[in-house]
Amino acid sequence: MDSYEDEDVNGARRLSSEPQPGRVPKARTRPESPAEFEPESELESQSECQPAQESAPAAEPAADPVSQPKTQLAQAGRVPASRTEPRSEAEAEVQHQRQPEHEREREQWHRLPPVAPRGAPESAVPEPAPVRGMAALSLPYQVAAAVSFAIIGALACVHLAMVFLHVAPSNTVTKEYGKAVDGWVYPEFEQNWKLFAPNPLQQNIAVQVKVELSAADGSRKTTDWIDLTAEDGEAIRGNLLPSHVQQNELRRAWDYYVNSHNNENRADGVRGQLAERYVRRIVMMRLDAHDLGGPVERIQLRSSTRSVKPPEWSDEKIDTRPAYRVLPWWTVTAADLPEGVSSGRTEAGT
Amino acid sequence: MNTTADRGLARAVQRITSTARGPYQSAIVRIGFAATWLLFLLRELPNRHEMYGPNGPWSWGMARQLIAANDAFTALMWSDTTLWFELVYGIAVLSSVLLILGWRTRTMSVLFMIGVLSLQNRSIFMGDGGDNVIHLMAIYLVLTRCGQVWSLDARRAARAAPGVTGGPSRDRVGPVLWAVLGLALITATFLNQTGWLVMLLLGLLWVGLGLWWVVSRFAPHSEPRALLDVLANLAHNAAFVVIMAEVCLIYATAGWYKIQGSRWQDGTALYYPLKLDYFTPWPALSDLLASGGVMVMVLTYGTVIVQVAFPFTLFNRRVKNVLLAAMMLEHAAIAVLLGLPFFSLAMIAADAVFLPTAFLIWLGGRAARGRDRLFSRADVAGRPEQQRGSPDQPRTLVG
Repeated sequence: MDSYEDEDVNGARRLSSEPQPGRVPKARTRPESPAEFEPESELESQSECQPAQESAPAAEPAADPVSQPKTQLAQAGRVPASRTEPRSEAEAEVQHQRQPEHEREREQWHRLPPVAPRGAPESAVPEPAPVRGMAALSLPYQVAAAVSFAIIGALACVHLAMVFLHVAPSNTVTKEYGKAVDGWVYPEFEQNWKLFAPNPLQQNIAVQVKVELSAADGSRKTTDWIDLTAEDGEAIRGNLLPSHVQQNELRRAWDYYVNSHNNENRADGVRGQLAERYVRRIVMMRLDAHDLGGPVERIQLRSSTRSVKPPEWSDEKIDTRPAYRVLPWWTVTAADLPEGVSSGRTEAGT
Repeated sequence: MNTTADRGLARAVQRITSTARGPYQSAIVRIGFAATWLLFLLRELPNRHEMYGPNGPWSWGMARQLIAANDAFTALMWSDTTLWFELVYGIAVLSSVLLILGWRTRTMSVLFMIGVLSLQNRSIFMGDGGDNVIHLMAIYLVLTRCGQVWSLDARRAARAAPGVTGGPSRDRVGPVLWAVLGLALITATFLNQTGWLVMLLLGLLWVGLGLWWVVSRFAPHSEPRALLDVLANLAHNAAFVVIMAEVCLIYATAGWYKIQGSRWQDGTALYYPLKLDYFTPWPALSDLLASGGVMVMVLTYGTVIVQVAFPFTLFNRRVKNVLLAAMMLEHAAIAVLLGLPFFSLAMIAADAVFLPTAFLIWLGGRAARGRDRLFSRADVAGRPEQQRGSPDQPRTLVG
């Protein structure tokens, strides 16, 4: 994210043929602490030269290889001066100015924690600079790391390509390899970001239910249409934290039903049957909160779709009368009752 | 041939293998998503049985039929008892809390993912876009080293650091946690029926954590340990890139599909959600906003422009930050206006991956000072001075 280019270029320039051939830099592992991640240059430029050297033995002319790690440590601002070779103020200033402003600010924040250089006794013996990453490894381990690098990199690229194809419109590639894309993305990476797109929903869809119940005198009674979606709306109104139960449950269940049924309300297989049951169970649970005056024998569902009236400033004319989709009557069974719901058959006889 | 290019490549490789990039960004994403999910779980606590319980409208048996077809992973299918459901819900809550605090961050991120996948895959018709983002990020976060800063882990490491080499020598909790979760994983392997890829990931992570501990304990300066470190950095950096790309994909998809819509073209798109019963918790406010044609048009076009433009602005730091602020503000507005607080929180947490480091450090300093003021009013004496000076000392947001 943040650019370290200045430092890197700078650091690389002053390095060179170090490390000496044959010298395997020792990994110095340090416990993870925030400070560890800040002095990028300390970690990077020091060790970079090794791979570079392998591929390009004739690197640029050398700067002083000894002073290099120390300069970097000093840059990180947490090494006692005694350990650092004298460095001119001017050089420090130049170093400072090369850094982007945010970088400098960040450094200031980090100068203060008095974290002792770990593993470094306060002696004058210059320890081998801490090295991590690829450059800290000997050849066999480097090979292992390189192979892992290739695999992890390839996985990330393939994953992004698959997700891209998944969210992209149908195209030449997805027509050819759609199965492979689906196999990769489903089920855990499924996603849909067409938020209010290509067009926002322009209708209020309400799910309503009519109930046939057996009254106390043994006769059958049929209620008016009860608007369950309106009850959702009331619960959402004035609510800073609406629940998914109010916003998504019935709305998405009805969506699911519509998508898994044809216009004659015929289910498209198991999905459709599950959708019917799901909607009925939600409805029975919602009805439980109503005092209907007797156990529910049968229910009938319908949806009312009403277009939002066009904006005042628009000259569009749209019919805002509701259109209904009416489902056949359904006799309630025990399978339609979620736990604790009693307004159905279970209550018959009381 | 070209030594400059070679060196550049070597430098890039070294950078990617030696450090886990974006420590502050990954930490804020971790905290953001864990907090969003935690708040959601607490909000839905009274409704949890209806939403995910074995006897809710979407019953355990119905879920099983659907999951048999889509092969999703959910621990809730391991048993249909209410006790198990309560346990999973409890683990989801607890792992969210501990992930925010960064206690055993990697392990908690795994439990967090299990919680998210288990609940969401159990009732797929309960979620919306916000759940979808949390779902994806929960998986990606597992692969990141998101506890490098602002975590209890980082504080522990910093305390253990001076003089001590081989950090985990005195650690008792880690091995115990590992053993317990190992037992659970083995048991789960017998109960599990779908989502084997996730189970494989869990197994790999479990082995990896064990390996990491053994190597750190007995050979802290060895090459195997350095190699493991390289692997962890590689996984982190790859996942981090994927997270950033995912956010870009979200905005690109949302924006580019809108361009094709007639309502977004004629400048009235925003008017319609403001008239939908499901998205108007404050009808008076919505009506007020929907009453002005020019205002609706400006906001409609602005939304599309920002969403389409965002991925491209990443090449310019300043413009990116302006757009980032705009998008976060828009999501904050959506939270209230359309009544989608958790969706908005999740999107803001996702946006946070692009926040500049300097800002995050400043934010961390503010949070630390706020925490100090809150928790140590009694000993105002010298401590805050020290705290103010070291804002990158791992902080936990608790006392």
